[in-house]
Amino acid sequence: MRTRNIDKVQLVKQKAIELIVKNGLEGFSMNKLAKACNISVATLYIYYQDRDDLIIKVAVEEGRLMSDAMIKGFDPDLPFEQGLRIQWENRYQYMIANPVMALFFDQLRSSSYQQEFLSSFLKSFQAIVGKFMHNIIERGEIEAMPFEVYWSVAFAPLYNLIRFETEGRSVGGKPFKMTNEILWTTFDLVVKALKKQ
Amino acid sequence: MDNFDHILLFKTNINCAADKRFLCAVFDCNIDVEQWTVDLEDEDCVLRIVSYTLTHKHIIELLNYHGYACCELT
Repeated sequence: MRTRNIDKVQLVKQKAIELIVKNGLEGFSMNKLAKACNISVATLYIYYQDRDDLIIKVAVEEGRLMSDAMIKGFDPDLPFEQGLRIQWENRYQYMIANPVMALFFDQLRSSSYQQEFLSSFLKSFQAIVGKFMHNIIERGEIEAMPFEVYWSVAFAPLYNLIRFETEGRSVGGKPFKMTNEILWTTFDLVVKALKKQ
Repeated sequence: MDNFDHILLFKTNINCAADKRFLCAVFDCNIDVEQWTVDLEDEDCVLRIVSYTLTHKHIIELLNYHGYACCELT
């Protein structure tokens, strides 16, 4: 009897992500994945219908994990600064713990898999984040503004710092190492920029 | 633990839309086939059949009869 081995499924997922990041979606095949995992191609086809099915299942599962990590301990009814701080903390911890995932999600962004990837978590995630934004505007904590403006001010500085940290370099190749002070000084400036005076 | 004995896997030479249409004609109305897919992008053109009654031998004989190469993927 052939049985599903949980460790093997985990290995397949991990190697699939690594190969897609390294060679792109175009260079990814079931044969290469089987070799990388040191298992037979047949074993892969036991777990997944085909290449598309594998990519979509891995993407959907990772999307859900990312979404869960980002809203962990977050309540959309929290005051602005406290709620944003939790989101920064969650996003930072997730991205630092999973540096390869940012590259994997980048690969999906420009592919035909993006829609299915997003639909796996976006609705519930957007509902929570959207409710938070609605609440803080209604309470008069920040000015009303388009979501894209809010997102860009609230999170783009964080993602830029994470990119510097991941690459170990900032502008012009200058060596960079993230510190708590840099992270939370930037956060304070973001809060200052968004908070109604 | 899941049992996967009902998943039958084959290496084939089914590699184009016309070949796939043939499979549709053969398998779509076959009550013994719960589900089937063929990976046209794969170098082994893997045919995957979910069936609780058919065997590898049945499928190999059927495809060979219609002129397709087909062997069990191990």
